[in-house]
Amino acid sequence: MKVLVVDDSSVMRRILINALNTGGITEVQQAADGSEAVAMCAAEAYDLVLMDWNMPNMRGIDAVRTIRSSGNTVKIMMVTTEAEKSRVIEALKAGANNYVVKPFEPATILEKIQATCAS
Amino acid sequence: MNVKLINPFIESVYELFATMLNCGVSRGDVTLSKLGGDPKHLVALIGLSGPARGTVALSLPVDTSLQLTGRLLGPVPTEVNDDVADAVAEMANMIAGSAKAKLGADTGTPINLGLPTVVTGSDYKVVYPSDTVWLDVPFQSELGQFSLRVTFEFSNGGA
Repeated sequence: MKVLVVDDSSVMRRILINALNTGGITEVQQAADGSEAVAMCAAEAYDLVLMDWNMPNMRGIDAVRTIRSSGNTVKIMMVTTEAEKSRVIEALKAGANNYVVKPFEPATILEKIQATCAS
Repeated sequence: MNVKLINPFIESVYELFATMLNCGVSRGDVTLSKLGGDPKHLVALIGLSGPARGTVALSLPVDTSLQLTGRLLGPVPTEVNDDVADAVAEMANMIAGSAKAKLGADTGTPINLGLPTVVTGSDYKVVYPSDTVWLDVPFQSELGQFSLRVTFEFSNGGA
């Protein structure tokens, strides 16, 4: 499985990558904002994108819309501090497949990833 | 600022330490403060806007910030570096994000979260508007002490 981790926090990217590695997922690339993620998704095929919401240059929600508007059907899971129900609905309408609110336990992330990829 | 509004922030600190840091935390009494904080601390500042306006500040002594970063990423760093600043910023981001969801649950319109700014060094002064009153909550954990400082108000004056 090939995963793209998108977060402006390098620490959060490493936390997510560590969780993925713990779950046996080692093919992981990373992006620091939405625009970088859009470019990487256009250039390479991923099985899953973990997407933060609040980032400089392009927010995660806008990156999801851009990726979907290009016809890309990659699985996208939001991993964000935005916890309001309206945000969850907005993300799902934009094309996200699943949603995890920070803070999280690493085991939760792995369960959600498995559920997202199986859906 | 209504003192009860601090409660979602306190709950968010407990949740953060329990989930991401696997660490218990206890708090002291909430106090009102107009002071600018301890200049020897790392301070992560995040602005709130939209239905509520204000600032959340997470203030940590250097040793606490080093221990916290070590708990998140592995070995405890020996000095403040980019990882430490980023870890403190992300902690503040998660506290503010979780708290704003609790605060905005009944308003319908989500409160907007700014990108965090971290102030480090040993010779700085954060100057706040003279009429700003902060709610200051001290915390103690096995990673060290720290404090959360919050000032905000709802735009409609409610809640």
